[in-house]
Amino acid sequence: MADSLLGGFRALDLTDEKGFVCGKILAALGVEVIKIEKPGGDPARGIPPFLHNTPDAEKSLYWYAFNTDKRSITLNLEVRQGQDLFRKLAQKADFVLESFAPGYMDSLGLGYEALRQANPRIIVTSITSFGQKGPYTQYKGSDLIASAMGGVLLTTGDPDRPPVREGPDSIYFHTGAAAALGTVIAHCHREITGEGQQVDVSLQGVVASRTFTNLIIWEFKKQLIKRSGSVRKIGARATRWIWQCKDGYVFWAFMPGKFGAPANRVLSKWIDEDGLENPLNKVTNWDEFDLTAISREELDAHEEAIAKFFMNHTKKEIAEEGLKRGLNAASIDSPPDVLENRQLEARGYWVDLEHPESGSTLMYPKQFFLCNETENFMKRRAPLIGEHNEDIYVKELGLSSTEIAALKKAGVI
Amino acid sequence: MEKQALAGVKVVDFGWALVGSLTGKHLGDHGAQVIRVESSTRPDLTRMDRTVSTTKGLDDNPMFTHFNTSKYSMALNLKHPRAREVIDRLIRWGDVVNANFTPGTLSKLGFGYEYIRGIKPDIIMAEGSAYGQTGPLAQEWGVDGTGAALSGYLHLTGWPDRGPVAPNLPYSDVVLPLFIATAIVAALDYKRRTGKGQYIDASMIEVCSHQITPALLDWEANRHLQTRNGNRIAYAAPHSVFPCQGDDRWCAIGVFTDGEWEAFCHAIGDPPWTKEPRFATLNSRKENEDALEELVSEWTEQHSAEEVMQIMQAAGVAASVVQTVQDLLEHDPQLKEREFLVPLKHPVMGAFGHPTPPYKLLKTKAQVRTSPCLGEHTEYVCTEFLGMSHEEFAELSQQEVFR
Repeated sequence: MADSLLGGFRALDLTDEKGFVCGKILAALGVEVIKIEKPGGDPARGIPPFLHNTPDAEKSLYWYAFNTDKRSITLNLEVRQGQDLFRKLAQKADFVLESFAPGYMDSLGLGYEALRQANPRIIVTSITSFGQKGPYTQYKGSDLIASAMGGVLLTTGDPDRPPVREGPDSIYFHTGAAAALGTVIAHCHREITGEGQQVDVSLQGVVASRTFTNLIIWEFKKQLIKRSGSVRKIGARATRWIWQCKDGYVFWAFMPGKFGAPANRVLSKWIDEDGLENPLNKVTNWDEFDLTAISREELDAHEEAIAKFFMNHTKKEIAEEGLKRGLNAASIDSPPDVLENRQLEARGYWVDLEHPESGSTLMYPKQFFLCNETENFMKRRAPLIGEHNEDIYVKELGLSSTEIAALKKAGVI
Repeated sequence: MEKQALAGVKVVDFGWALVGSLTGKHLGDHGAQVIRVESSTRPDLTRMDRTVSTTKGLDDNPMFTHFNTSKYSMALNLKHPRAREVIDRLIRWGDVVNANFTPGTLSKLGFGYEYIRGIKPDIIMAEGSAYGQTGPLAQEWGVDGTGAALSGYLHLTGWPDRGPVAPNLPYSDVVLPLFIATAIVAALDYKRRTGKGQYIDASMIEVCSHQITPALLDWEANRHLQTRNGNRIAYAAPHSVFPCQGDDRWCAIGVFTDGEWEAFCHAIGDPPWTKEPRFATLNSRKENEDALEELVSEWTEQHSAEEVMQIMQAAGVAASVVQTVQDLLEHDPQLKEREFLVPLKHPVMGAFGHPTPPYKLLKTKAQVRTSPCLGEHTEYVCTEFLGMSHEEFAELSQQEVFR
């Protein structure tokens, strides 16, 4: 088997759902990620959906999704013996990933300073709602709250309804990726200097880092960009982004100038072929077509014609015929559509992971990116609760079966 | 001052628009020397965006600045017959090449990975794209919305009784650079250990599809088709956005545990409805969520969004003002504490807020410098980094290579 980029390093992953993705990325890069769960299992194992709709701590598909390639041990950090065991593990670890309220790890004697005493090389990545310091540091958060607080939520949704969140826990995913980057940058520095450090990631900060266009428009023009449904207000002119077609929705952006010209020509020609009314015909030079130079009425007439055109076709027609013609549209795909995407298939994007305990095999996305010299793939399903207790406590730390039994009895593991 | 984490790393940055630009910014803000190679013959889209620029020049766009802090800019016309003399030196100088042209573009220009590796066998080269460098659709056009559409993200965003909606902000374009930069930095460490370089091929659709994995598994295992669900989630109630006093002011509230529900009820003054059996458990609150949200709204409407947030947070319930960017800039002490934006002076635009990375390395802090004007460092890079003589530089300049 080929190497992976970060094979041979170890992370202790104490995160809840706010931080799962960070460890998942590191695990894909070859880091041995050990999820440390409360005895009885991580509460996030209760997040639906469940395998075969059966609520069970070992069947959360949400948990499966974001804990692939990790190992699991159980450990109670709130008792002294548990803290001692954790310190022992941290001595040999390269990373600790955690998402507790700021100060909680300190209260257990396991904060960054304490861990640094035990292991000066350690990198502690802390993923919290608002960050380690500041007036809101103890505020509670979540994907929705961070989106609200970071300025993205207000820009999402139909104008006649409340702002609406991005569906698939996008903030957690984005934050996990930011945390992984901060962690590997700190790692690169540590490997050269021998010095670890703490990486402080805030969900709110990550969300706010997406707001640049709107920040600038406020800063320089004192205009607020709010939500506008399927129309996107980026750049000088608001144009429709999402179009209804016969059997669903497609994405197509009306873009000006040379950047938009090829697709605009294709669209105009196609509307003609369909025999529909076509005000786009009046545009003589698409290369110089300027969305800000035409009147709102003219733009509305264009968009009305385009809307009728899309309603004349199915999602599949737009996607496939559109690709041949160069329309630059994309179908708004549902989960089963994504599973059937031929480009993903051709690039070997899917991997079957076995869940022997339930006799199921599920298909997962395999890679975040491809490398020519290393393999950085998903290889193993998410672990069962404490699945690797024996590997770590007995084989590695050398605890005897009597010691293990005593720890179990004391509720430590 | 502590040395920055990526001090000594040299990046040849052909990246442009959002994805490529942001990838280079992540590296530059942490101390890598990043040479942005660009050309006035084909300026970056964000140098040309006219949303806020006033002079119609190429150096007055704050959007470009937001994506291109902490870089040097070298003007170079890649199509000039003598560009190769400069590119070869850049590659010899660099540890990393970053690019996000449509797949195949660099090869067509004669500067694809094979060529680059021929000059520097241990180079780390990363290319980001919408669909990836291989496969039947590799060379198709794609932007932020393409990734949002094809990854299932748009399908899952909006109200159940309506079509999908998109935020007035990018997602895929911002997330993909984090993965590319992660791969580059991990590859730097791998090279330090093994001496081997790396070619990295990152696709927006592949990265973004990971986030809907629970919905993919739900379809595979249960044949359950997930769709838009407004602000509701299965494991919390109330979990939504509620109207407050003022024009278009809202507060988001999420109640996850039984303890939080008790705290929530107490915080709003324990009105009788909170004792009704239909709201007693998470399951029953989920079953009666319409009624629940209406009753919560009746309470929130009597308060400002700020009050709701403070009352809830004091009670230990997750809640937040649905902030505008004006709130972020002017009313948010937390973002200020984190130095979300640092005021820096740009030579053309003057002083304004420049974004810092949202992940903070507490020992080797990011140090952000303003973005370069187009070609601002061409001569400096050629003579100081690439070892070119002043005569040589003048000669190539005269040939209009540096445009």
